[in-house]
Amino acid sequence: MKKYTLKKELFKADDTFVDQKKNFLIDYRNQLNPAQYEAVSSVNGPHLIIAGAGTGKTRTITYRVAYLVELGVHPESILLLTFTRRAAQEMLRRASILLDARCEKVAGGTFHSFANSTLRQYAPLIGFESTFTILDQGDAEDVVNLLRTQMKLDTRERRFPRKKTLFDIFSKAVNRLVPIPEVISGEYPHFEQHTEDILHLQKAYEMYKAQYNLMDYDDMLIYLRKLLRDNDAVRTKISERYKYIMVDEYQDTNRIQAEIVKLLSSRHENVLVVGDDSQSIYSFRGATIRNILDFPEEHPNCKIIKLEENYRSTQPILNLTNEILRRARA
Amino acid sequence: MTRHKFHKELFTYRGGGELPSIVVAENENLQSKFVVQKVLELREQGIPLQDMSVLFRSSYLSFDLEIELNKANIPFVKFGGFKFIETAHVKDLVAYLRVIENPRDAVAWNRILLLAEGVGPRTAEKVIQDVLARRNTSPPDGTSTKLPSLWSQFDQYAEPVRSLFETLKGISQSHILPADKVAQLLNYYQPIFTKRYDDYNKRRKDLDMFQQICERYKEVGTLLADLALEPTTESVADITAPGTDDEKLILSTIHSAKGLEWNSVFVLYALDGRFPVTRAALDDDQMEEERRLMYVACTRAKEHLYITYPINVYDRESGLVLSKPSRFIAGLPEELLDTWVIDEE
Repeated sequence: MKKYTLKKELFKADDTFVDQKKNFLIDYRNQLNPAQYEAVSSVNGPHLIIAGAGTGKTRTITYRVAYLVELGVHPESILLLTFTRRAAQEMLRRASILLDARCEKVAGGTFHSFANSTLRQYAPLIGFESTFTILDQGDAEDVVNLLRTQMKLDTRERRFPRKKTLFDIFSKAVNRLVPIPEVISGEYPHFEQHTEDILHLQKAYEMYKAQYNLMDYDDMLIYLRKLLRDNDAVRTKISERYKYIMVDEYQDTNRIQAEIVKLLSSRHENVLVVGDDSQSIYSFRGATIRNILDFPEEHPNCKIIKLEENYRSTQPILNLTNEILRRARA
Repeated sequence: MTRHKFHKELFTYRGGGELPSIVVAENENLQSKFVVQKVLELREQGIPLQDMSVLFRSSYLSFDLEIELNKANIPFVKFGGFKFIETAHVKDLVAYLRVIENPRDAVAWNRILLLAEGVGPRTAEKVIQDVLARRNTSPPDGTSTKLPSLWSQFDQYAEPVRSLFETLKGISQSHILPADKVAQLLNYYQPIFTKRYDDYNKRRKDLDMFQQICERYKEVGTLLADLALEPTTESVADITAPGTDDEKLILSTIHSAKGLEWNSVFVLYALDGRFPVTRAALDDDQMEEERRLMYVACTRAKEHLYITYPINVYDRESGLVLSKPSRFIAGLPEELLDTWVIDEE
């Protein structure tokens, strides 16, 4: 086993790091391009990394994990949130190869897996047993359908929305933080006369899940946000545990996820998000490009770093894709 | 002022490269034939099939191409369709595990009760209410739910339900590993499975795979959470894993191609009304997202990029004939693109 000594003078009283010269095991400056290096060596405070397609985003995140660990940040106090668990595992695996096994101790996963482990730990605080079941979308739709039948909403003269549509309305309201009537009038105006019934159904759906110890995907984020927002002790504990937060694919986060990031980092503001606004393509499932576009305003003193050197495509392909973007709304 | 984008200008120090092409086809089938022929040509040049992909805005846009690929004996995989975990028989198995983990899970109860011979919605409802009543009288410390005693209290039921409870009782003990629980479950489930699914032979490999997945777990709770949160999918990334001998062309929606790259990329149906979709014209934000989709599609290509569109496509919804290239690639400076027209021999 290797011994690693933490240098006392690196730490200020508040446990943040003094920016000073240090002998690193990895030659970051030479193994990265200047923009990547800037992103990797940015430590404290909010950072927005705009990573164009094929510009070495994974490499940059991997190196930053190693950099933080080399600086002496405890790996357990780094939280890396990604779009898929595979992505987190891959980055941490690479970081471990790059530096050493300490990087494997970094907490990494998706928003939902982070929510899952946190909520099971604090389940009683939100009125659940820690053995709650997670409903996938098909299950959730079946429950909605069951209640719809029980409430005899399917026998109306005017066509009542189907289970898929109903679940879609509930989910959009949650993910976009918009009231249900607004979702209906905006996207399903032909169902507006059913708004009252849809609201009742939604209440019944909530009660059903609470009664049977069930959560759907949206609930996991909702309850995590609630836990962090309403419970100062828990929020403090969690944000003291995770002192450095990194979020990948920030362009595809929804509003609740952005709020969770904000709550998690509210104490220290050591939050670095990576993404490409030009690749935001998931609005149909509640993602909003506004999160990444407004990040600098939401996190004052945010430093923006752009990765523009591409390692994938030939220049003629890039000339075309640059032109496609140039014509986008300014 | 509201910001709509961060300006960026991607560049590479790597030299060379051919111009991307925009390819106009007289009709949909010629578009398909062009892709087939070009794929074969590129393969002759030494590019393996799995290093090429055909991307499209919507899944149905590749149907005609799929037929042509079959005719030409070009193996392909299409990304999309059912996820493994969403298949009915795997969902059945998961439901049994769910009730032993969370006996209050009425959704799973309903599923497995209705699977039992002769059990209808009414009986199912009755059993669920009984389970909940029993469950509520036991101490709410969370641990008691996993005790086999809970499952012994249902001897009064008729045979199919009783044998279900027998099975659950047998596997509910926490020292039995998930894979062994599933093995026991399969004994019980086998007759239900063969009776319920006509194509059970095809489906059986999914059950084997499910058991294989379970081998990796020590606890049912973790297994269930992982299945729900990170479902095993037949994802493009799985299929194109390095070292695979299986040479297959990739067909994928643009959404599913996120984060991936190929030596050669075809963007199919870059036809205004199909990509962007017609309805996007009503909303600026949606139209901008369509543009970003085109951007994502084109940035997947390393060396060869072919953007194709058919003309003379009748659109039932609007009653119009679609013939214009996607607005995102129309009217671009000539020096950025080669324009090809397809000619039949």
